[in-house]
Amino acid sequence: MNLENFELIYKENRVKIKDKAKIRAKLGEIVGDENVSDKEIDIFAYNKDTTLITLNWTLEGKIAAQPDFIVWPETPEQISSILKLANEEKIPVIPFSEGSGVVGGAIPIYGGIILDMKKFNKILEINDKDLTVTVETGTNGMNLERYLNAKGYTGGHIPQSLYTSSVGGWIAHRAAGQFSSKYGKIEDIIMGMELVLPQGDIIKFKTIARASTGPQLDKLFIGNEGTLGIITKATLKIWPYPEKRGLISYAFPTFEDSLEATRQILRQQIYPAVIRIYDADETNRHFGHIEKAKDKVMVVFVCEGIERLVDLEETITRETCKKNNGIDCGEEPVEHWFETRFKVTETSSTPTFKIVADTIEIGFLWDKAADMYHSVIETTKKIQGVMMITAHVSHFYPNGVGFYFTFAGIPPKEKTDFEFYQEIWNCIIKTVEDAGGSFGHHHGVGINRSKWMEREWGKSFDTLKSIKKLLDPNNILNPGKIYESVWKEGGEN
Amino acid sequence: MSDILDKYKWMGPIIQKMDRDTKRVFMKNFRMRDKNFFPEGDYKADVKNLVNCMLCPNMCRFDCGTLQAAKSETISPAYKARIGYYLTIGKIDPLDPSNKEFIDLMYKCSNEESCKVWCPFEFSVVSLLETVRDDLNDKGVMPDYCKEQIKKLKETNTIEDHNIYETYKEKGIENIETDGNDDVYYYIGCESMKFPEVIKANIKILKKAGVKFSTNLEKKGCCGGPAFNIRDLKIAKELANKNKELIENTGARIVVSDCPGCIETLRNRYQKVGIEIDVKFIHIVQYIKDLIDNGKIKLEREIPDEYKKVTIHDPCLLARNLNDTESIRAILNKMPGIENIDPIYNKQFTHCCGWSGTVHWADKNIAIKEATNRINELKETGAVVFISACPECELGLAYGISEKDKEKIKIIDISELLMKVI
Repeated sequence: MNLENFELIYKENRVKIKDKAKIRAKLGEIVGDENVSDKEIDIFAYNKDTTLITLNWTLEGKIAAQPDFIVWPETPEQISSILKLANEEKIPVIPFSEGSGVVGGAIPIYGGIILDMKKFNKILEINDKDLTVTVETGTNGMNLERYLNAKGYTGGHIPQSLYTSSVGGWIAHRAAGQFSSKYGKIEDIIMGMELVLPQGDIIKFKTIARASTGPQLDKLFIGNEGTLGIITKATLKIWPYPEKRGLISYAFPTFEDSLEATRQILRQQIYPAVIRIYDADETNRHFGHIEKAKDKVMVVFVCEGIERLVDLEETITRETCKKNNGIDCGEEPVEHWFETRFKVTETSSTPTFKIVADTIEIGFLWDKAADMYHSVIETTKKIQGVMMITAHVSHFYPNGVGFYFTFAGIPPKEKTDFEFYQEIWNCIIKTVEDAGGSFGHHHGVGINRSKWMEREWGKSFDTLKSIKKLLDPNNILNPGKIYESVWKEGGEN
Repeated sequence: MSDILDKYKWMGPIIQKMDRDTKRVFMKNFRMRDKNFFPEGDYKADVKNLVNCMLCPNMCRFDCGTLQAAKSETISPAYKARIGYYLTIGKIDPLDPSNKEFIDLMYKCSNEESCKVWCPFEFSVVSLLETVRDDLNDKGVMPDYCKEQIKKLKETNTIEDHNIYETYKEKGIENIETDGNDDVYYYIGCESMKFPEVIKANIKILKKAGVKFSTNLEKKGCCGGPAFNIRDLKIAKELANKNKELIENTGARIVVSDCPGCIETLRNRYQKVGIEIDVKFIHIVQYIKDLIDNGKIKLEREIPDEYKKVTIHDPCLLARNLNDTESIRAILNKMPGIENIDPIYNKQFTHCCGWSGTVHWADKNIAIKEATNRINELKETGAVVFISACPECELGLAYGISEKDKEKIKIIDISELLMKVI
């Protein structure tokens, strides 16, 4: 294949591997010849993840990046040996499982070795009494959930990427599922893990409900995005499969009313598994067929668990919605949500209109959440070429919320699609940072947010960088993410 | 265009509010969409859906049998579609011999169509790959392993290197020639000939029920399924016409087969190439179930102990294409004392044995791994008798089973089990 037919986007500072044949042979010695490839057809398959701008590039015949080798290890010991080799040869190693990340976390921007975790796919043990499942981290999320369901449990972690993501990806990016109000984010669900550190040491954090054994070092690796270690095994909480589901929806006259109703529900210690607020634009988009919701703010709830508890949650949820001007829209909008939540078609259509689109999720405390929402909408709208900026609120806690913004636009003449994309990202994040929020809620940092790490973390970012340097002195694990930014300036209007 | 407008109706107000420059560019992009990305050309590939598939976040990946076997992004559905698109628009030159592996990828599918169950666009990936194969054939770059199959079909009239139907005598299979007045034609698949005990069981069951039927093994040939998969439609139509004549000469109004692939081809794929045969095509399990329901077959004997605990491997073609997952279960339910433990992935969510489609020619190791994966799922039930109703499945599963497991696990057709109780 003539790779010159494909424009390479991330082409600066690519690692120069002097003797590729030697490295390939050494990798073969570690994982077996059948588990390493430098064939074009494989190299080409790992040149991107699911970051939305890469879909525009794919359609236009561009490639985000280009790895040099793909390896498929089968044991932590093999990973350890690969990392030792990479340290000796100063070759980047990029962990990859299902490639569902949307912030560039698995894009091999400097080339190097893609370490595909798909062969770590065993579901090792369910412990009914402890309510845990131990699983290898390359396991696909849907395959884990289907297995658990068949055995009478749920994992409680149901992201929209359930079909396309892995347990390792969830932990690496500190993910959240759509049912997180009841079951928590992945950091609330993970109880123990095994991982390989950048220089090849294999360490384990034991499975325990709670402990007082010094600092919670394990937390350092949840959300490390493959920069501090490669997680190979995890023990997660599970729950008995809910015996009842209550479906509730209310339309509110204003965004503020909807926020207030949901805040009050949580304040009463009622935790519907799913709560989703759609602003008026998203309500018209997703629930245009519900007459009562037209131009209003739709909120859908799913209460689940044992019947008596669900009944109580439903009662209090309904009372609180009514008290805050909510109009009961029945079960149909929630059923519609269940039917369509995995019907992802827009990613396939928008690039064909040369539309640049993406989603950005951020975290905010309750106090100024509504103000922050309006600020992001207003600031983003001012960018030349932006056609649409909307939001839903997807994750709820007694103390704050996770917002999920969706933008789409057409780059103005003087900008490339990538420049335009970065400008919008940077604008939204700056607005959130200025308002006191957190720049990411559950997709992670990846490439897209690295530029803002210092602003987000303040002085503590120096500490994080020191830890990175200590654990990974040669910077071989997933370089170009979190600790350094490869994005251009811009968008700080 | 109208479906697009309807789908994006909600965008109306957004477009209204766009500034003039943005709106102008947007409208231009809208008008130029086809020219930009779906250019007209001398190709048959379904480029619009290839694009839909390649830009999808791989929503079916978890249930793609070949991907779950190969454990490589290279085998992921969206990547296959991406390569199919690039081969079509010339970004990857199909005529360049160094691109052979990219062409091979278009055949690394087991046709199980699990993807269709989850696809946001409701198509199967193989339905797209087949359109790419059409163009590859037109360009004269059909892979050698496909050419070999076509050669066999031409020379032996079957998918074997010899006419496998000629082996019926040595295998002790009775041939029943038609007198032109049959009620039923028992259409025996090429691959079924590798399982003579299944054929013998089916013949006995039909006879016991008093069905007037024929097998016509002297004139029997392949249904053409493999040629449809490879997309050599010339040979596929030739075989279809031979089968049309064979079937019509029996006078039967019902054609039953032990092979779901044959029924799928006879019932659905012939129609797509304009060949109509005015009879009812059903898989033999459905017919046998009806015979039992109507009292024509009586289950009189107790099932032997070693066959009491079973699990069902639903053949994907029977479950997802012919939409019949209940006949096997209904027959089992009539057997006193039998315990069926379904595997986690059952009925319309069944997983493939690896031996359907073209992957077993393009990359046998992937097919064997897929078979092993399925064997492991079936083993997890604790049953040691695996029941199926498809010769391809029985062939594929046999590749996936270890020598050690072969000693204790039996893979049998539902008809073979039925013979033990009637």
